[in-house]
Amino acid sequence: MNRREVLLAGAAMSLASTSLASTRAFAQAGAEIPIGVIWPLSGPSAQIGVDAKHALETAAEIVNGSFDIDVPTAKNAGLAGLGNAKIKLIFADHQGDPQKGRAEAERLITQDKVVALVGAFHSSVSATVSASCERYAIPYLAADSSSPSLHRRNLKFFFRAAAHDEIFSQGMFDFLDAQKKAGKKIETIGLFYEDTIFGTDSSNVQRKLAQDRGYKVVADIKYRSNSPSLTSEVQQIKSADPDVLMPSSYTTDSILLMKTMDELGYKPKNLVAQAAGFADKATFDAVGDKLTGLISRASFSIDMAAKRPSVAKVNEMFKARANRDLNDNTSRQLTSILVLADAIDRAKSTDGEKIRAALAATDTPGEKTIMPWKRIKFGEDGQNVDADPVLIQYIGGKFVTVYPENVAVAAAKWPMNG
Amino acid sequence: MSEIAVAAPNNSFVASRRRQLVIALIVFAAIALIPRAVSDVYTMNVLILTLLFAALSQSWNILGGYCGQVSLGHALYFGIGAYATSILFVKFGIVAWGGMLAGGVLSALVALALGYPCFRLKGHYFSIATIVIAEIGLLLVHNWDYGGAALGIQWPFNPDSWWTLQFARDKVPYFYFVLGLFAVTWLVTYAIVESRWGYWWRAVKDDPDAAESLGVTVFNSKMGAAAISAFFTAIGGGFYAAFVSYIDPESVMHFRFSLLMALPAVLGGVGSLWGPAVGALILIPMAELTRSYLGGTGSGLDLVIYGLLVMVVSLTQPEGIMGIFKRSAKKADAKVEA
Repeated sequence: MNRREVLLAGAAMSLASTSLASTRAFAQAGAEIPIGVIWPLSGPSAQIGVDAKHALETAAEIVNGSFDIDVPTAKNAGLAGLGNAKIKLIFADHQGDPQKGRAEAERLITQDKVVALVGAFHSSVSATVSASCERYAIPYLAADSSSPSLHRRNLKFFFRAAAHDEIFSQGMFDFLDAQKKAGKKIETIGLFYEDTIFGTDSSNVQRKLAQDRGYKVVADIKYRSNSPSLTSEVQQIKSADPDVLMPSSYTTDSILLMKTMDELGYKPKNLVAQAAGFADKATFDAVGDKLTGLISRASFSIDMAAKRPSVAKVNEMFKARANRDLNDNTSRQLTSILVLADAIDRAKSTDGEKIRAALAATDTPGEKTIMPWKRIKFGEDGQNVDADPVLIQYIGGKFVTVYPENVAVAAAKWPMNG
Repeated sequence: MSEIAVAAPNNSFVASRRRQLVIALIVFAAIALIPRAVSDVYTMNVLILTLLFAALSQSWNILGGYCGQVSLGHALYFGIGAYATSILFVKFGIVAWGGMLAGGVLSALVALALGYPCFRLKGHYFSIATIVIAEIGLLLVHNWDYGGAALGIQWPFNPDSWWTLQFARDKVPYFYFVLGLFAVTWLVTYAIVESRWGYWWRAVKDDPDAAESLGVTVFNSKMGAAAISAFFTAIGGGFYAAFVSYIDPESVMHFRFSLLMALPAVLGGVGSLWGPAVGALILIPMAELTRSYLGGTGSGLDLVIYGLLVMVVSLTQPEGIMGIFKRSAKKADAKVEA
């Protein structure tokens, strides 16, 4: 057999195999289902991507192996619906740039033939990646991009199991309402937020919710992110002295805010934070002593393991890879792969339309996830409306879940300094 | 008699100019044939970006290379083009072509308004001023609610059309658009460099005081270069907005765009006709391919290789890659004379 004959034979075989039903092709030994995952693996947000990689690989391990964990697709090895085919994650780096994200998405779709895409941390990148997926009729699952604008574009192939920023803020106000009902005094609110997409979005929603639910906004302070000084801003907060201060800040600003308040001798009555800097370990290493009683919203809380045993098992697997506990971001990233794998399993196909239909039909109860959610069921717009956040309080050097009740392990200490 | 004496050098000059033009047209024609051979979406994307940055760098070269006013704030003009095109299209339904033209004119006016105070600064002070002004522009757009502030502007889905420059899967139209843009910037540069303005610019670059003393209106010629440069940069920005179909302040006005416009020209050869294109041809595919095929590992190896290449070229070829051709051409000339 000369070289030409070998090539011809190879070509003939590949032609033959494509004509087979996809299920049977994947059932062959070694066949893998390619899933594109797109995160910032280099550049300023590289750490997010590196953490995401551990989380996503843990999820793939759960799908591909056989584990006694109460989440979909864990029990049997691979996907039963596709002849126990295994999934294979193909990583791409978008560096936080929407253009690069789009180019990488198109590469993954056309070259690597991925059956679906998951991403992307930055909401701006999710915007372009999901548009490309729509054009190629391939499902896109936003794991940890939380801008509310994403699911309002009438995209057919866009799905988000996690909460968007409005759901987060709603959770925070639901908590305030509950406290008020219990007889605590909450009348005035102070908003303090940085000036990029995160703070802008967050404050817009909070301002509206405060109005709708009858709280008075007595301080509405926007500041330049990474500002060298917050003295004048803190003085404004001090003179308004709201019942609840609601900061939307990243790490460096959170630390500076707490230090400046301390220097100016101001103790906020209550702090209810929009995660970010107030959920970052670095903040607590620096100013943890000033944060006792802080409440932050979160997508995830590790002490939920007391009520959901699967959390502890999954966390152990993740910890073996990443050498740290699951957090807000990594838990959402991990879950996104499980949701997608479950849909592919039920679709029994790698066709974009069929996987989309299976995703749309998803109805997973919260107990079968590692998240505090009620359940996973996507609306017409692809958003899961039951992705309830939790509120966690920093007490005794660690976070405890205080809200909502079905996952809370302790009652909230309110007021925080009282 | 005098006619012949004058005609002789003129003839060789005209011939070499004509040769340059013929070479350019052959190159453009050859590039235009690429889509017949390449159909892969990803490769087309890399080619489009390469041509776009060749065109942008060529525009930068007019002010930074020929006129010697090193601007590190061209992201401002790029952003103006992108925002003008996006806002006019998304909010007023004006086709992308109109938006790009409007953005170009607006950019040129902004360049003139900014040039008025800034061109009184020399050398590094001018460069620093351009960085600062571009950063101010970024801050303003960040806080500009009508322009979407930090959220940016999303282009709606539209059927494929040359008018709106929207194509769902097809990259070939974008390819021809940027090829056209690159050809136009090249031809404009070609036409201007040997005009009176071109001579003025080079005189200003070499020594503004000497040029002034010889009757060059230094200030006006700088202003002219800035306006032309800003106009084409904004057209490129408008194209980028249509191409990506989404813009936000960071993704079109970040400082890295200012660098990405200057870098190909510097790498390829400042103040040369083909320098920006050669630089872009090396830098852009390099950056894209290393990110795509090494970036997925999360090791940062892609950026290491990229940085290494830039260092090697700047150490071994301080004049840029076009310097190699110049030197070999000089050698050939020397041989003929000997």
